[in-house]
Amino acid sequence: MKRLCLSITLIFAVLATTDCLPGPMDGSDGSKGVVITVYGFSIMKEPLEKSIFPAFAAKWKAEHGSNVSFITSFAGSETVTNQILQGAPADIAVLAIERDVDRLVQGGAVKNDWRARPGKGIVNTTPFIILVRKGNPKQINDFPDLAREGVQLIHPDPTSSGGAQWSLLAIYGSELKKSEAASGGEDIPKATQLLHEVWHNVISTPGSAREARTSLETGYGDALVTYELEGLMMTQAGEPFQVVVPKATIFSEHPAVMIDRSLTPEKRPVVEAFMNYLWSDEAQQAFVKHHFRSVTNDLFNQANPEFVKIELPFTIELFGGWDKAYPDVIQGVFINQIKTR
Amino acid sequence: MSANVSGVKHTRGFDVIKPLSVSVLIAIMLPLVLLPLASIFVFGTSNGLTSFWNALVAPEAIFALKLSFATSFWAMIFNVIFGLFAAYVLSRYAFWGRNAIIVMISIPTAIPTAVAGFALLLLWGPYGLLGRYLPPDMQIMFTPYAIILANIFVTFPLAFGVIMPVLETMSRSLEEASATMGASRWQTFWYVTLPSLRGAIVGGALLTFARAVGEFGSTILVSGNLAGRTQTAPLYIFSKFNEGQVEAANAVAVVLALFSFVIFSVLFFARDWLEAD
Repeated sequence: MKRLCLSITLIFAVLATTDCLPGPMDGSDGSKGVVITVYGFSIMKEPLEKSIFPAFAAKWKAEHGSNVSFITSFAGSETVTNQILQGAPADIAVLAIERDVDRLVQGGAVKNDWRARPGKGIVNTTPFIILVRKGNPKQINDFPDLAREGVQLIHPDPTSSGGAQWSLLAIYGSELKKSEAASGGEDIPKATQLLHEVWHNVISTPGSAREARTSLETGYGDALVTYELEGLMMTQAGEPFQVVVPKATIFSEHPAVMIDRSLTPEKRPVVEAFMNYLWSDEAQQAFVKHHFRSVTNDLFNQANPEFVKIELPFTIELFGGWDKAYPDVIQGVFINQIKTR
Repeated sequence: MSANVSGVKHTRGFDVIKPLSVSVLIAIMLPLVLLPLASIFVFGTSNGLTSFWNALVAPEAIFALKLSFATSFWAMIFNVIFGLFAAYVLSRYAFWGRNAIIVMISIPTAIPTAVAGFALLLLWGPYGLLGRYLPPDMQIMFTPYAIILANIFVTFPLAFGVIMPVLETMSRSLEEASATMGASRWQTFWYVTLPSLRGAIVGGALLTFARAVGEFGSTILVSGNLAGRTQTAPLYIFSKFNEGQVEAANAVAVVLALFSFVIFSVLFFARDWLEAD
């Protein structure tokens, strides 16, 4: 009995020397000032954490004399949206696709006027490219090559990742765009056929674009359709991969929204200031530094020589906006005709 | 069957079956358990011990480990006390519905942990059945308390499962002797029943703790996965892997692997030590 008591006291003693429950790292003692919680889709981590948060905190401190700090959570865009819909304590969300913002609006978390901000609420953009292993051993030069037999493709999961949906639209839309350039009419059956064949070569569907990239880096698969910046980051870090630029591809557009639902009056001015800051020249140039493309000033983009040139670029407007793209292409073509077959 | 039994021979001298069966055992364990564990150590330390150490002492990593241990500790305390109480009641009293309660306690074992997390969210979340009636400053979900709740749920049957069989098979004669000697029910429990259960209690506690520290599926749903606030060690590993920081993920994974090694060694040796009083 004594031994039991002893061991129990011992366990308690060990725990007492740590904490009962560790308090939040961001200092609830007020030393860190207002704490802004940002939920972002996977690839937003670097520009936000490395450049934009510290720069805004310094700016706010200089102008108002008080501190601002940030806490973050990053995952696939659909995952982040679901978390917020379930009540996760976000102040701001940066998402991969507008459809997720629409879901937040429907769920009452975001106000309907989010498009009133500069760039119609879109904070930055980037084209979709193909990432292959160095030397391009499988000779992949455009989307149709991904449909070739023996090519193993990593593709994020469209149910959790916004980047995955952009990728589907890039592959499908590229065929529409090319057929339109060649014959003047969009060849929908051909585009469906291509997406079908490409999907057949998918060997793994990770939860987010970043997770898909990690899979490719760990050695799986031959290719990945992803954001240009992922490719630029990898080649810049000297990793054995190279970027293949498709002839026609989509420019993804990433909305940033304020989660009005849970904002306290003390917090609101700071969060509002941060939202405005995202479209400032300083923040837009920071995005460009981290390989995103600016939406406010094309001169920033021209200053970055690493950005690839796309022969036939297109946007979500090719499909008539997300209101049409999701039901027509993601649901109508991908989910109904391809995924379930 | 009986024909087989008659065919068994007793071997004299060198028994070839013994080394053979031991090597078969190890050969089976190697690809299934041992090599995957080894690869964590290999990858975790592949960039040298300095970078391993730096990954480990990163404030967010330390926080994640602390949070995991603390939330698991409270879940363990609750489940051991509850398990002891439930095992005592269910083994000492026969009543209508007793078996139904035993089955209900065991249900969390078979429920996918993601379902457990989602269930908690639907109940206690800000828009959940009960959670919507909580004032905003008393919300449980997306705080460390939500992690404790999730840990309690997924490890619910473990301590009970270890204590119950011991209590059921325990000879009642000591308890009866104690009672006839005039001890109160509480004295009998404290001086007679409890001491013979300490092996089971410590075993159940460690099992609960170890399982809770490794919990992932439910925590990711109820915690919000905020780095430095509600991110436990398994969530940290997951996030770092997603971000492509495989070394950082592996450093914490190594700690968790070593931790479970220690827990189960303690479990193995403490049993003998506690029972040989």
